[in-house]
Amino acid sequence: MAEEQKQTQAPGGGGPPRREGGSGGHGGPRREGGGPGGPGGGPGGPGGRPRGKRQYFRKKKVCKFCVEKMDFIDYKRPDILSQFVQERGKILPRRMTGVCSRHQRWLGVAIKRARNIALMPFAGSAAGTQAPRVVVPAAAHAALPTGAEAPKA
Amino acid sequence: MEERLYDLIFITRPATPEEEIKKVISGIEHTCAEKGGKVEKTENWGTRKLAYRVKKHREGIYVHQEIRTTHGELIAELERRLRVQDVIIKYQTVRLDEDLKRQKKLGDKRALRVARRPRRAPAAPAPAPAGPEQTAAAS
Repeated sequence: MAEEQKQTQAPGGGGPPRREGGSGGHGGPRREGGGPGGPGGGPGGPGGRPRGKRQYFRKKKVCKFCVEKMDFIDYKRPDILSQFVQERGKILPRRMTGVCSRHQRWLGVAIKRARNIALMPFAGSAAGTQAPRVVVPAAAHAALPTGAEAPKA
Repeated sequence: MEERLYDLIFITRPATPEEEIKKVISGIEHTCAEKGGKVEKTENWGTRKLAYRVKKHREGIYVHQEIRTTHGELIAELERRLRVQDVIIKYQTVRLDEDLKRQKKLGDKRALRVARRPRRAPAAPAPAPAGPEQTAAAS
């Protein structure tokens, strides 16, 4: 999933992760923490990277809210917010999720509002009182619009 | 005072009959009308599981409303009324307009940036052909 993100980003930013021969992000196993969900290992690409200095190259994580161009994080969407908390409800740090500082700030506010109105747990509730947790964040984003309408209707 | 937009969510007991909820909603509308506000949107989310126990309940009926008003006291009044009603187990009002204003500002900025970019892109290749011509003339 992260591979997809990187590819979508590449044309726009022309960014540093695009790397000759190294095939950029396939350092999947080295990802710290694995993010909010989803073990990062994508489809094994052409992995013929020379073993050397680059071995510890870590793919740059992109802020998902920036990619989606969200300027407002809605506290009424626990399906989005739950991707950025631990299983027991802790807000995940930025270094795990790659969210930019601005969006992390808004995200924190949104999560706290959601907690206040019992859409998100303060703690515990590992036994999923929520709608089924979406494990793969990228897929979750794709599925959001349909998923969100259901409970409201 | 300028106009403000508020989000109001309240949760009623799961066993609340439909008419009771209707009554609460109409009560809110009535209060709004009295104090000079307007309910812009009412949405019943139906029964949802609560993330934690609230007044011994594990689920509740969510109702979401958007209220536009110029009088901040209306919100205080609404909250007071919600508090005394038995069927309501939780409520929350959030001021939205500042967030939305920020969203709009950022969106406009982005649109501006996007609009500006294509203009610059054609401008860049234009001088490039001019260069070879000059050199050709010189040689």
